[in-house]
Amino acid sequence: MGGKVTCTLGEVKNRADFIVFWGGNPAECHPRHFTKYSLMPKGKHVPNGRKDRTVVLVDIRETKSVKAADIFLQVRPGKDFEVLTILRALIKDQAVDPRQVAETGLTLEQLTDLVARMKRAKFGVMFFGMGLSMTRGKHMNSAALLTLAAEMNAFTKFVAMPMRGHGNVTGADVVMRWQTGYPFGINFSRGYPRYNPGEFSTVDLLVRGDADAALILGADPGATMPQPAIDHLARIPTIVLDPKVTHTSRLARVHITTAVTGISAPGTGYRMDEVPIPLRPALKSPYPTDEEVIRRIHEAVCAKPDWIHANGQYTTNQV
Amino acid sequence: MIRITGGKVYDPANGINGQVRDICLAGGKVVADVDGGRTIDATGLVIMPGGVDIHTHVAGGSINFARAMTPEDHRRAVAFIRSQSRRAGLGGMAPTTFATGYLYAGMGWTTVNEAAVPILSAKHTHEELRDVPIVDKSCLVLMANNEIVLDLLQAGELERARHVVAWQIWASKAYGVKAVNPGGVAAWKWGQDAKQLSDPIAGYHTLTPGAIIKGLAQIVDELGLPHPLHLHCNNLGAPGNVTTTLESMKALEGHRAHMAHLQYHAYGGDDWSTMRSETVQLAEYFNAHPNLTTDAGAVLFGDTVTITADGPWQHLLYKLTGRKWGNLDVENETGCGIVPYSYRPSNLVNAVQWAAGLELLLLIDDPWRVFLTTDHPNGACFWRYPEIIQLLMRNDFRRECLASITPKARKAIKLPELDREYSLYEIAIITSAGPARALGLKEKGQLGVGADADLVIYHDDPDVLRMFSHPRYVLKAGEIVVEDGDIRATPEGREFLIKPAYDEGIENFLRPLFEDQYTMSFENYPVEVQRIEHPEIRDCMGTE
Repeated sequence: MGGKVTCTLGEVKNRADFIVFWGGNPAECHPRHFTKYSLMPKGKHVPNGRKDRTVVLVDIRETKSVKAADIFLQVRPGKDFEVLTILRALIKDQAVDPRQVAETGLTLEQLTDLVARMKRAKFGVMFFGMGLSMTRGKHMNSAALLTLAAEMNAFTKFVAMPMRGHGNVTGADVVMRWQTGYPFGINFSRGYPRYNPGEFSTVDLLVRGDADAALILGADPGATMPQPAIDHLARIPTIVLDPKVTHTSRLARVHITTAVTGISAPGTGYRMDEVPIPLRPALKSPYPTDEEVIRRIHEAVCAKPDWIHANGQYTTNQV
Repeated sequence: MIRITGGKVYDPANGINGQVRDICLAGGKVVADVDGGRTIDATGLVIMPGGVDIHTHVAGGSINFARAMTPEDHRRAVAFIRSQSRRAGLGGMAPTTFATGYLYAGMGWTTVNEAAVPILSAKHTHEELRDVPIVDKSCLVLMANNEIVLDLLQAGELERARHVVAWQIWASKAYGVKAVNPGGVAAWKWGQDAKQLSDPIAGYHTLTPGAIIKGLAQIVDELGLPHPLHLHCNNLGAPGNVTTTLESMKALEGHRAHMAHLQYHAYGGDDWSTMRSETVQLAEYFNAHPNLTTDAGAVLFGDTVTITADGPWQHLLYKLTGRKWGNLDVENETGCGIVPYSYRPSNLVNAVQWAAGLELLLLIDDPWRVFLTTDHPNGACFWRYPEIIQLLMRNDFRRECLASITPKARKAIKLPELDREYSLYEIAIITSAGPARALGLKEKGQLGVGADADLVIYHDDPDVLRMFSHPRYVLKAGEIVVEDGDIRATPEGREFLIKPAYDEGIENFLRPLFEDQYTMSFENYPVEVQRIEHPEIRDCMGTE
């Protein structure tokens, strides 16, 4: 189990005739997704656009996205992993326990109907949101959905894609991977990258009080993180780079106003499907870009004596 | 300025075979003489032009996908420690960008060709290439499943297809054209494959893989690209695929072509249990057809991660191994698949693959036409090249290794009968002079006056593995970058680009198609040349 079977959004536009949104509310969170990529566009192989597509929404409550769906499946909160596991059994014609089906809040008829439709699809896609990946089961839920999509390829073409958002989070993930091998939660304290989500992720470092200082770029942890993490940010020297004053700015020692990328600063944004898009500024800004500020901080830091002792250039024995 | 004295020089492009010569470097080039500067005493050492990797996967969406999928390997990989001049990084199966530059240079390679770039994410590839230090770089754009090109080939509009291909090469800031499983990746978008060269491709009426191969080879020749069509044949990895490979070669008669990782296309047999090496047949045909070059795509036993634009093959490999599977279909252009894999000497198929790669290197007579690669990271990681050099130069070592493979494989391979041993001169050809010539990089792979001052100085060590793993010095553009295993300098490399001639009006044809089929605006599609760190735009050859 593992991996990801996915595609770029143009494949969805041109081919997808069966679309599942799981644990997400694109109508409100990704308002252009339906019109640009997934539902409305007329594609090369789905010439009638929306009419050629079947749309299923799986969520624990009725959201505004329900209106856009043909089928709504309301799962009992915290039972996504169970539903996905039952679906993995059903596609392979394996027996499932009716009591376990009953616990999910869905009926066997609903699930077998879903499986039949999935298998009939020419090109199926499952988009999943934080309602799946950040609730009980967390990454195991994502893994179950990704595995279901992979296994569906024994019957027809099927792919899956996380509904990512929050600015250029995908870009950060992509760059960290090529520079360090890991997407996030990376610790450089030994001079080389180490990865351990839950230990080295920002929220964990802050809650434990491990960090001596914080540089916050394009994020507002002061608004989203748990109180102990916020308390620690207030305790240590925190520097915020942001076009506007955020919750984090208010508790930081330093706030540096920067130009808005894509409006007054150039750059590259990575779409949720990891396709890079060039960002060209339409306006001039009196403020420096994030890049410029970071470069100047970096130059100043480089002028300091190197803190890593001369213990070789590389190690074959990571500890 | 540097003068290197007393070294035994292996410079096959200039016919120098181990003679002791002085080499002078100034301004990043080899010069006739220098006055002053540093002198390196290379007495008793061996000098070769820096290695050139003609086929590797080191940057872009697919290798970055592989990095994401293999954190467990990063943890056991060699780790590069940050210093004021070096960036932190990790080696392993899918090394990080900075580490990639350090590892290549550390073994004496100074030029690399990234072999698979989708236009849609070419910006990403170039951003990564910028973060690969020391080495010079080029890349090949994926074309044989590009639906706009395929539609034109089906309609027989070769002239217009040529303008489109030329436009796309420049749009992606590539150096050449790569064809992967022609038509097969397009078919994979419907869950199918294209295995027969003469069968119409799923989703097309008349277009066949054979027609794509011929059409693209002709276009590449007409455009006069310095590197010929770089072909990854249909039916990769499958028992009995040698017939497809031979048919592909026949389809290419009258055109130049580079057959990528030929080892993966050299199998006989009907299924996995009867799979055998058909390298003899393949090498025989290849030897007689000087329009072709190839690289080995050799396999070494051990863990790696397979990465290819060949989506359907990767689905099969996932079903065979039950391991992780990554797949990324790129709209209208291509796809990629990723599956971690372990090659085992006890496995018949793996043993045949291991032998077949070496057999091709030993059976193809002309070292100027067969090059050392592992299709990194598919057959093995590039930093294991010295192990292959050892296998080629030492027959006794080969015999030792043969003893450890499954006895079932012995009658399925030719390797036990081959006694050829490579000389240092031939090693310099297959690792440097040959691939540089095939890429059309005249100032690479040689040490004549005017050549780039990229060279490597080895100890003349009877232990071949040690010799090629630990160069005494590596120089890039006349600067000492590696000295006795330590990275001394990390200059930024250049990137080679081609701007073939095309009718600017072709954009009027492309724009409406693009806006219909893609999900970004046409203006955002091409890579701006400003995004390339040190671009060097090269000329096409005269088209006669």
